[in-house]
Amino acid sequence: MFKPKSECQQVKNLLSPFIDHQLTSSEQGLVEAHLERCEACQRELESLRAVVNLVHRVPLVSPPRSFTIAEAVPKRRAAPVAVFSAATAVAVLFLAFFFVSDALNLFASEVPVAEQFREDAVMLEGAPDVAGAGYETVENWPFWQLEVAFSALVVILAAMTLIWWLKRRKAAERGFK
Amino acid sequence: MEEDDLILRSKEGDLDAFNRLVEKYQRQVYNLALRMLGKAPAAEDATQEALLSAFRGIGGFRGGSFRAWLLRITANACRDQMRFWRRRPAVSLDALVIEPEADRGTQSPEDYALSRELGDEIAKALATLPVDQRQAVILYDIEGLSYEEIAQVMNSSLGTVRSRLSRGRVRLRLYLGPRMELLP
Repeated sequence: MFKPKSECQQVKNLLSPFIDHQLTSSEQGLVEAHLERCEACQRELESLRAVVNLVHRVPLVSPPRSFTIAEAVPKRRAAPVAVFSAATAVAVLFLAFFFVSDALNLFASEVPVAEQFREDAVMLEGAPDVAGAGYETVENWPFWQLEVAFSALVVILAAMTLIWWLKRRKAAERGFK
Repeated sequence: MEEDDLILRSKEGDLDAFNRLVEKYQRQVYNLALRMLGKAPAAEDATQEALLSAFRGIGGFRGGSFRAWLLRITANACRDQMRFWRRRPAVSLDALVIEPEADRGTQSPEDYALSRELGDEIAKALATLPVDQRQAVILYDIEGLSYEEIAQVMNSSLGTVRSRLSRGRVRLRLYLGPRMELLP
C-alpha cells in the first residue's frame, strides 16, 4: 500500500517537467509507466496541462512607451570604497604611531624637578633613589587627545568603508559584476 | 547589426547601440516587471531603472545570454520595488492586483475583452505565488525562456528552476482550478 502512494507522489512532482520534456530518460520512463496504470495521476497531469496551456495563452503586453535612453547617463561612479579604506589605513597608522610614541615616551623630554618637590619626596618616601631623581618626564605632544580623536576617526572611516562595500556588493549581486 | 556587435559598442558607451538592444528587449523586460509587480506604473519604473542600470553596468557583462542578464537585472529591480512598498504600509501589496493590458490595436473588441479577462485571472493567480515561483512561471510560461536561461536569470541550478516552476504551477492550479470553466 505504501509503495504505490509514494510513487504517485514522486510522479506528481515530475509532472511539470514532464509537460516541458525536461525529464531524464529514466524519469521519463518512470512517469510514462506510472501513468499507464494510474488514473489519478493521469487526471493530475491533464489538469496541470490545462493550467499550463491557459497561462501560455496570456499575451505579452506592449509597453506603454519606449524605454530607450534619451541622453547619455553618467557612468556609475567608482564606489569610494578604495578612498575610505585607504583613509582608514592611514588613520590606523597614525593611531598606532601615537600609541607607540606615547608608550615609549619618544617625544617626551626630561626637565629638572623643582627643589621643594625633591625634598618633599625624600621626606615622604625616605628612599635615597627618589632623592636622586632630579628630573621628571614631560610629554611634548598631547597624546591623550590625539589618541581619542584618531580612534574616533578610525571608527567613522571604517564604518563608511563598510557601508560603501555593502552597497557595492549589492550592486554586484544585481549583475554589475 | 548583430547583437554581439551592439553589446560591444554599448560597452564602449555607444548609446545608440544600447538603445537598439532596448528596442529589442523592452517588451520582455516590461512584461516581466508588470507580471511581477502587478501595476503598470510600478512596472514602468522598474523597467526604466533596470535598463538604466543595465547601461551603466554593461561593462561587466561577461557573455552568455544577454536576455537572461537583462532580465536578471529587471528581476532585481522588481524586488527593490517590492521592498520599497513593504516599507510603506500605506500601499498594500494586496492592492497590487495586476492591471491587465493587451494590444488593443491588433485585436477585435471581443478578443480584447477575453484576453483582458484571462490576463486578469492569471494576474490574480500569479499574485498568490511566492516571488521565486512567480518569477519562474512568468519567465517560462509567459516569456518563453528556456530552463537554462531561467537558471541564469535566477542564479540557480536547473533543478531549482524545475522545482520552482513545478510548485508554482501546482499553486496556480489551486487558484485557477475552480475558475477554469468560467475562463475564455
